[in-house]
Amino acid sequence: MATNYDIIVIGGGHNGLTNAAYLAKAGKRVLVLERRHVLGGAACTEEVFPGFKFSVCSYVVSLLRPEIIRDLDLPRHGLEILPLDGTFTPMPSGDYLWRVNDHGKTHREIARHSRVDAEAYDEFGKAMQAMCRFVKPILSMIPPDPSTLNPRELMKLLFIGRRFQGMSSDDKYNQVQLMTMSAVDFLDQWFETDVLKATMSASGIIGTFLGVRSPGTAYVLLHHYMGEIDGAFRAWGFARGGTGAISNAIAGAAREAGVEIRTEAAIAQILVKNNRAYGVVLANGDEIHASVISSSVDPRLTFTKMIAPGHLPDEFLEGVNRYKFRGSSGKVNMALSGLPNFKCLPGIGAHLRGAMSISPSVDYMEKAYDEAKYGHWSSRPYIDMVIPTLTDTSLAPPGKHILSCFVQYAPYKLAPGLDWDTEKEKFGDNVVNTISEYAPNIRDIILHRQVVTPLDLEREWGLSEGNIFQGELSLEQLFFLRPVAGWAQFRSPIKNLYMCGSATHPGGGIMGGPGRLAALEILKDAKAS
Amino acid sequence: MPNSRDILIIGAGHNGLVAAFYLAKAGFKPLVLERRAQVGGAAITEEFHPGFRCSTLAHSAGPLRPDIVRDMQLARHGLKFAPSEISTVSLTPDGRALVLHSDSNKSAQEISQWSPKDAAAYADFAAALAKISKVIAEALALTPPNIDNPSSGDLWGMLKTGRSIRNLGKKDLYRVLRWGPMAVADLVAEFFDTEPLRATIAARGIFGTFLGPWSAGSALVLLIRAAADPTPAGTPQFPIGGAGAITAAMAAAAQEAGAEIRTNAAVEQVLIKDGVATAVVLANGEEIPARAIVSNADPRRTFMCLVDPIHLPPDFVQKIKNFRCAGTVAKINLALSALPDFTALKSRAAETPNLLASRLQVSPEIDYLERAFDESKYGSFSRAPYLEIAFPSLSDPSLAPAGQHVMSIYVQYAPFNLKAADGTKSPANWESQRKALGETVVKTIAHYAPDLPQKILRHQIITPQDLEDTYGLTGGHIFHGELALDQFFTMRPLLDWARYKTPIDRLFLCGSGTHPGTGLTGASGANAAREILKTLKK
Repeated sequence: MATNYDIIVIGGGHNGLTNAAYLAKAGKRVLVLERRHVLGGAACTEEVFPGFKFSVCSYVVSLLRPEIIRDLDLPRHGLEILPLDGTFTPMPSGDYLWRVNDHGKTHREIARHSRVDAEAYDEFGKAMQAMCRFVKPILSMIPPDPSTLNPRELMKLLFIGRRFQGMSSDDKYNQVQLMTMSAVDFLDQWFETDVLKATMSASGIIGTFLGVRSPGTAYVLLHHYMGEIDGAFRAWGFARGGTGAISNAIAGAAREAGVEIRTEAAIAQILVKNNRAYGVVLANGDEIHASVISSSVDPRLTFTKMIAPGHLPDEFLEGVNRYKFRGSSGKVNMALSGLPNFKCLPGIGAHLRGAMSISPSVDYMEKAYDEAKYGHWSSRPYIDMVIPTLTDTSLAPPGKHILSCFVQYAPYKLAPGLDWDTEKEKFGDNVVNTISEYAPNIRDIILHRQVVTPLDLEREWGLSEGNIFQGELSLEQLFFLRPVAGWAQFRSPIKNLYMCGSATHPGGGIMGGPGRLAALEILKDAKAS
Repeated sequence: MPNSRDILIIGAGHNGLVAAFYLAKAGFKPLVLERRAQVGGAAITEEFHPGFRCSTLAHSAGPLRPDIVRDMQLARHGLKFAPSEISTVSLTPDGRALVLHSDSNKSAQEISQWSPKDAAAYADFAAALAKISKVIAEALALTPPNIDNPSSGDLWGMLKTGRSIRNLGKKDLYRVLRWGPMAVADLVAEFFDTEPLRATIAARGIFGTFLGPWSAGSALVLLIRAAADPTPAGTPQFPIGGAGAITAAMAAAAQEAGAEIRTNAAVEQVLIKDGVATAVVLANGEEIPARAIVSNADPRRTFMCLVDPIHLPPDFVQKIKNFRCAGTVAKINLALSALPDFTALKSRAAETPNLLASRLQVSPEIDYLERAFDESKYGSFSRAPYLEIAFPSLSDPSLAPAGQHVMSIYVQYAPFNLKAADGTKSPANWESQRKALGETVVKTIAHYAPDLPQKILRHQIITPQDLEDTYGLTGGHIFHGELALDQFFTMRPLLDWARYKTPIDRLFLCGSGTHPGTGLTGASGANAAREILKTLKK
């Protein structure tokens, strides 16, 4: 059997689907092939225990590019973002820090810890907004190739240079620091309250194998600040129906535009002849041809697993092999019979509706990283928790809840003698123990528990080494260096084979940026030929 | 005005002396004011035990930038270096030693005993580093461009560097872009498997900084240092007579060119009138007016102590307060009755004198360095520190009585800001840690040379606090400020103020806190002199 399509998209994650939708809207005949039985990749909702629907991997949204929501008309396809208000950080001292979207409340709350910091917090917010304004256009930009003398590429560099020059001197200073400093060094300049710095710095390390004191983490802080829901900076939310609903909405838009989507269609190989990709072979042996192949899986899978040896130049393969994944996080999802009761703020309150962050001090965060560096999961990890059922009751039976815990550090590579299959439940127990130090009733209300290790992320979701961003967001792997220097423009050394996943610019998170930008490049090439 | 000077230079460290030389050469009559009784700043040789003299702080040149050595004719002024061919003798806990030479073939031979694959990769790495470091060296010699309003000179400089970078070819161009922000541990792992080799080279990327080998940006430090000396581990340059011999020769050259130097002349304050620096006041009350004032002191000291911050824009003061300059280095000098016996060298008796005369390093593996760094993050000094050891009396016997020796030990990490065990910051308690630091270092070395403790006649323990109190390095930082991506090039010391000028008219900087600001190279002083001349000649 050989059916012909214009384009085959490998992987039905949110980027693959976005890519397909844009291509189909431009009139292309597109087929999406997904290995799993559900769409969405790491943005999926699954009923893991009867009646309990989990956003198994990615669990909150904010980075989804507004132009994609608009272009694909996602609300009409069922996307509804519900608010996730605030971050609640319990402290071992019995106190807490609770930041919410209400400016006045947050100001008073921070002032309770430090008046100076309360003032600085406002200034900080303004400065971050200015930084976001600078970085945002870059996120929607095809990265330039600095090694060519092509005027179009140089114009892009000039554009960035001009924008940089156009900023005020303070903004420039902040921008340079953000690109280079550690989250803690950066925050140290603004704040004195340890718990405030700790909980804010957490967004600088999410998904990376870096500590809050590692240079380069300030940028990831900004990356997470860039979230935009209804135009409000720094607003995070839930998708009604779990994060899978986002993927389903994109899939709906794609189908409407004519995309064909097949699940349980694992790819065994990408067919290449005369340095040109012309189709794929499925695991069941089916061969499907297309003039363009667009892969949303990471470069390691695409180029070392799906392409027969001999088709790629050594230097490119070296780059692919060098590309760092280093997954550092896991997930623990729990089905609860009730709600956690925090010692420092007992009862059922609005603090449970937002994010709850176990990040009590900078040293706590850094020590969690130290353990991971030497191949152990953190004995006291950073945990970011949400209870989506307080906002979206459709996810659990009445009166019951789900608790979604993002846990870091869980290094993919464990020290010699340890393996994830034996560590898995110990790791889960440790998360429960850690939470119970702040909310002791947690043990009594757990009905079911699902532990997702970095190894699970690799095996089940196809994320190499369990990296949730398909590769670290470190400076040497960003922009025109992502994923391989010289190959940041979504193309590959094989003609008609493109990359459209998080491993390409602008990177990970439920953003859709790579899928959209890659589609634009594919269309550009199609027009030219 | 009586006694008015055209240029005053605050501090007779090596950069101050280099600046003085170039300014004098251009026809000015600079007066260098040094707080201590001797010139040299952190490049000094002092007697610390009767008959025993040692490079008190830095013991190796950066190395010095060749054009500076040539222009100042330092050889004619008495500067001589001990011959050095051996780069590093890296000791490992299993009693072996990895010896690296400045000759990369010899190094490869040595490495092949550990891993033939690494021996082959070493030549590649050495070649790539040599190629890239040349371009970096060009950038280091440049005055960082003015970002807001680049002059035609700036554009020309950038264009030239840009062209050199392009001429590297696509592969090496992307290497420069990729390597800069990397962790040095990742960089060496791309080439090598052997732990001592990885760590010995990686150590260069953390030297003097508050970074571990896994910290992003440590590869940049390696590149900056490689710009001065492209051999992968760097080859030490020990001056005969200790580091003080370098600055003594520089002082002689500056004086010959027409500069004047006054020691025991501590500057208390820079006087400012209507935004213009007009004079300095010495500790004894003496006021010396001048046309221009150049500070070789670190940026924090210059702007927070010597200048009344009231004369500075508030956001500038705020940013200088945030300039990171908490040091991580301590120095220990030992007077020895005889050379210690290193276990690793027993099997190489014939080479031992040469090996000992080079540099010994305790950096056996990446994790060792990272763990040493970990401790410093929480405010205590490493219990198993990274060490760089030299026996200067081997190349210059005059430094110790016949048959006896001095041992110069560079210690990292010893964080300036110590914390008490309960995590509370209790400043200035280095005094209570001094003895423990000395014991830790001796114990660490005794692991490789068990008889060391019996041979010690005298310890000189220099803590980061001493570096600040005695030698004027704020925060005890040997580079006057952290060498990191955010404090480099156009950001050193601050974005918009990387061109040796300051918000105060006629007040300039010329120390390590300015670009490029690494070690004993003289580059900051020479670059600064060039910019000062441009301004003063207008």
